[in-house]
Amino acid sequence: MSHAYDGRSIDLEKALVRYMVERRISRRQLLDRIAKLGAAAALGPVIAACTGGASQAPSSGPSAAPSTEPTTAGPTPVPEPEKELFVYNWTGYIGEDTIPAFEAKYDVKVTYDFFSNTSEAYAKLGDDGGGYDLSFPISVDIPAFVAKGALRPLDKTLLPNIVNLGAEWADPGYDPGNTHSVPYMWWTTGVGYDTTKVTDSPTSSTALWDPRYGDHISMLDDYQECFALALIQLGYSANSTNTAELDEALALLQAQKPLVRVYSTDTVATMSGGDVWIGHIWGADLYAITTENPNVAYYIPEEGGVRGSDTMAIFSGAKHPIAAHLFINHMLDAQVSASNTNYIGYMGPNAAAKEFIEPYILEDPAVNPEEAILDKLQELLDLGQAVRDEYLSRWQVLRGGG
Amino acid sequence: MRRRANPLLTGYALLVYAFLFAPIVVLVVFSFNDSRRNFVWKGFTTEWYPSLLANDEVLDALGVTLRLAVVAVLVSTVLGTLLGLALARLRGRSRSGLETLLLVPMVTPEIVMGLSLLLFFLQLFDGRGGFGQLSIAHVTFCLSYVAITVRARAAGLPAHLEEAARDLGASAFEAFRLVTLPLVAPGIAAGAMLAFALSFDDYVVTTFNAGVGSSTLPLYIYGRIKFGVTPEINAISTIIVAVTALALLIAWRLGRLRSPAPG
Amino acid sequence: MGLRDRAALLLAGPGTAWLAAFFVLPLAIIFVVSLGQRDALDRISLADPSLANYARAFDPRFLPTFLNSLRYAALTTILSLAIGYPIAYWISRHGGRRKVLLIVLVMLPFWTSYLIRTYAWMIVLRDNGVVNALLQAVGLTSEPLILLNTDFSVVLGMTYGFLPFAILPLYVSIDRLDENLVAAARDLYASGRAAFLHVTLPLTMPGVIAAALLTFIPAIGDFVTPDLLGGAETTTIAKVVQELFLQGRDWPYGAAIGFLLMVVTLAGTLLAVRTVRRELVGGGD
Repeated sequence: MSHAYDGRSIDLEKALVRYMVERRISRRQLLDRIAKLGAAAALGPVIAACTGGASQAPSSGPSAAPSTEPTTAGPTPVPEPEKELFVYNWTGYIGEDTIPAFEAKYDVKVTYDFFSNTSEAYAKLGDDGGGYDLSFPISVDIPAFVAKGALRPLDKTLLPNIVNLGAEWADPGYDPGNTHSVPYMWWTTGVGYDTTKVTDSPTSSTALWDPRYGDHISMLDDYQECFALALIQLGYSANSTNTAELDEALALLQAQKPLVRVYSTDTVATMSGGDVWIGHIWGADLYAITTENPNVAYYIPEEGGVRGSDTMAIFSGAKHPIAAHLFINHMLDAQVSASNTNYIGYMGPNAAAKEFIEPYILEDPAVNPEEAILDKLQELLDLGQAVRDEYLSRWQVLRGGG
Repeated sequence: MRRRANPLLTGYALLVYAFLFAPIVVLVVFSFNDSRRNFVWKGFTTEWYPSLLANDEVLDALGVTLRLAVVAVLVSTVLGTLLGLALARLRGRSRSGLETLLLVPMVTPEIVMGLSLLLFFLQLFDGRGGFGQLSIAHVTFCLSYVAITVRARAAGLPAHLEEAARDLGASAFEAFRLVTLPLVAPGIAAGAMLAFALSFDDYVVTTFNAGVGSSTLPLYIYGRIKFGVTPEINAISTIIVAVTALALLIAWRLGRLRSPAPG
Repeated sequence: MGLRDRAALLLAGPGTAWLAAFFVLPLAIIFVVSLGQRDALDRISLADPSLANYARAFDPRFLPTFLNSLRYAALTTILSLAIGYPIAYWISRHGGRRKVLLIVLVMLPFWTSYLIRTYAWMIVLRDNGVVNALLQAVGLTSEPLILLNTDFSVVLGMTYGFLPFAILPLYVSIDRLDENLVAAARDLYASGRAAFLHVTLPLTMPGVIAAALLTFIPAIGDFVTPDLLGGAETTTIAKVVQELFLQGRDWPYGAAIGFLLMVVTLAGTLLAVRTVRRELVGGGD
C-alpha cells in the first residue's frame, strides 16, 4: 500500500487502523476495496478523518525517502533473476501483499509451502534445502546448518537493503556478520496471566510455581525455553552448559510439574479457553490472545528473560539463488518489513521500518519492550550437540516421568 | 428382515450418532464465528464462506488433497482387496506370514514411515517429494487397513459357493466376479471409506513426502496453528460434509444405495 | 499345495510386491540407519555399525511413557469395541433399506479436518466449555470440572477418532451372520445371552479381531491426540520417538527406539490374536 511519507503519516496510520478495526475488515479487504474503487474512494473516509494532509518535506535520514513507491533499493545493475522461487515457511508468517508485490516487481513466480514446526521443517530441508531455495530457520539453529554446509553464503552485493537493519543486528552471536542469514523477526518470552483470575499483578517467574494456580498453569512445550526459565530463576545463565546447574533446573521443573495443566506452544488456544490462568508464553502471542480473551496481561519476569529470533537463509541446493537474494532484499526493504510486522504482529530487526510500523505494535511492551528491559534479556544460543543432549535427556525425564 | 428393534438399542444407536456428530455441530457453528480464531464465540458472520472461495491457497491445497485421496483409495482398494481375499483363504504359515507383513506398516510409527520413504526416494531416485511420491506413500499406509477390513468380511466365506459356480460352468474369473465379489463388496466399500479418511487427514507421512508446491489441506491447516486456524477451515469442512451428505441423499433417492430386500 | 492355496498366493502377489518395494525396502534403509551413529553435525554416520542404539533403547526412563501409550491404546480399543459392536449390530439387523446410508453416516464426520474436530472437543471439554457450562447451568456443579488435559479427555478423543475403524469392520462381519443360525440356537432353547456368546460372537470374531487390530495398533502410535487433548502427565512413547528424531536430531537412536516399539507391539498383538483365535474360535478364521 503506497502512501506519502509526511509529518501526518502517523495520523494516517492510526486512522487506517481505527477504520479497519471499526469495520472489522482485514488489510486484504481494504486493499481489495482500493483496487476496486480506487484509492481516493476507498480511503476517502479515512483521509477525511485527518485534517488536511498536504505533504511536507521529510526530515533527513537515509530511510525517510519521500516516494510513493516502496523504497526498494534494488542492486544496480539488477541481475536477471530466475523465473521461480521456492520458499518454505509457516502459513501466514509473512505480510499479505509481500509476495504479490515481489512477484510483480521481478516477474518471479513464488511457490510458498508451509510447515507447522521448525524441527520437522529441518528434517525436510535436510542438508541442502530439500528442494527449497529459502527458508526461515530459528537463529539458534544457524550454526548447525552452517557447520554442515547446508547454507549458501550470502552475496551482500545483492542485498543493499541490509543497511536497514538495526545496529544491534549487524553482528549477531549466532551468525557473525550475517554471512549466511539475515534476521527476520524477534520476540521475547515471558508470562501471560488472566487478570480476573490472578489478581495480584505478579512480576516474578515464581508466579508460575504458585500452588494457588495449580492445574491452571501452562508452560511452553519447548525444552530450551523451559530450562532457560528455570535457570534464570535460579540465577544461572539461560544457556548454561553446567550439568549440575541443569540438574537443579530439572528439579525445579519437576517440582512445578504437578501444578502444570499442559505443556503447549499453542498458547492462544490454552489461554483463551479458561483452563490456563497463568502461562509461559511468547510476547508476540499476546495480541492474538487478547483478541480472544481481553483480560490477559503480560510481563517479562524481573529475574530476566530470553529473547529469540528467526532468520531468512538460502540453502546450498538452491536452484534460484538470485531470486532468493532479491527476495531477501525485498524483505529488508523498510516498508515491506513494516508491512510484515503489521500483519504478523512480531517486531522485526529493521530500524528503518520503524516509521511505517503501526503505533499499537511499537507501543506494545510485549512485542517491543523498551531498551531497559531489552538489555536484561538473554539471547538463546545454539547449545551444541553434546549440551543439547544434556538438556533433552533431562527434558524427557521431566515429561515422561509420569 | 427389519424386525422391530429393542427400543433401548435404538436409543443407544441414536446416542452413538450424537457422539459422532457432536464435534461436527461445534465445527459448523464455529464456521460462522466472528473471529479470526476458533476458540471463543464472538458473534455471527457468514464472511468466512466467501473469503474461503477467494482463498486460492486453501482451495489448491484441497484440490491436491482430494486428487491424492482418490488415487490412494483406488490403488490401495484394489491391492488391499486382493490381499484381504488371499488372507482369508490362506492357512498355516503362509497366512501367518502375510498377516504379519500386513501388520508391520500399521505398527510403524508415522515418523519412521515418513522418513523412511523420504530417504528411500532421496537416496535411490534423488527424489524430493511430489505428487507421485505422496501417492505411493499414501497407498502404502492405506493397504493394510483395506486388507484387514476385506478379510473380516471374506473370512469363512464358504468355499463351496465358488466351487458350485465353477461346477455350473463359470470360469474362475466369472465365479470370482459374480459370486465372491458381491459377497465381499461391503468389506471393500468399508475399506475404501477408511482409506479415504486416512489419506485425507494424513499429516506426518505427507509432511516428509510432499514436494515443493504439493501442499495438502492438512499441511495448510497445521501450518496455520501458529497464527490461528481461521474459521475458513471450519467452512471448508462444513462444505465437504454438506456436499457429501447431499450426494448421499441423491444417490439414495436414485435407489443406488438401497440395500436389497432381504429374503 | 492345493489349487485354492495357489490361487490365494496369486491374489496376494501384487499387494505383497508393492509392500516389498515401497515399505520393506525403505524400512530396511531405516534399519540400517538405526545401526549407525549420529556424527557431530547431526548427520547419519555408518562408519561403525552396531547394535549400541538398541542397548540404549532399553532405557528405563522410557517405561512410563510406553505404559501410558499402552494404557491409552488398550482403553481406546476396549471402549471402541464395546461402543462399536452394538451399533454395528443395530445397523445390520435393524437398518433395513437404510443400512448403507447409516454406515456412511458413521464415516461422514471423519471426512473433515482432524485438527478442527479436536479443537471442537477442546471447546466442549474446557473449563469454560459446553459441558461445564451445562453442568453449572443445571446446578450440578459450582466450579468447572477439570475435563480437558486429562487422561479422560485423551481417551475420549482417541476413542472418538478410532470408533469408525472399529464400527466398519464389525459391521461388515456382523452383516454376514446368517440369522437362521441364531434362530436355530434359540429353537434349541438357548437364552438370548447364550445365543450371543456361543453363536453370534464366535461367528463375528473376524470382525472383532479386525476392529481390535485397526484400533489398538494405530492407537499405540498416536501422539497427536494425547498432545492436543492431554496435559502434563499424558506423554506417550510415540511423542518421545518424535522428539528424538526432530529435536534431538538423533535419527539412528530414534530409529532404534522406533523399531523396538514396533517389535514389542507386533509380538504382543500377534500373540493376542493367535490366542483369541485358538480359544474362542477353535482355530481357523
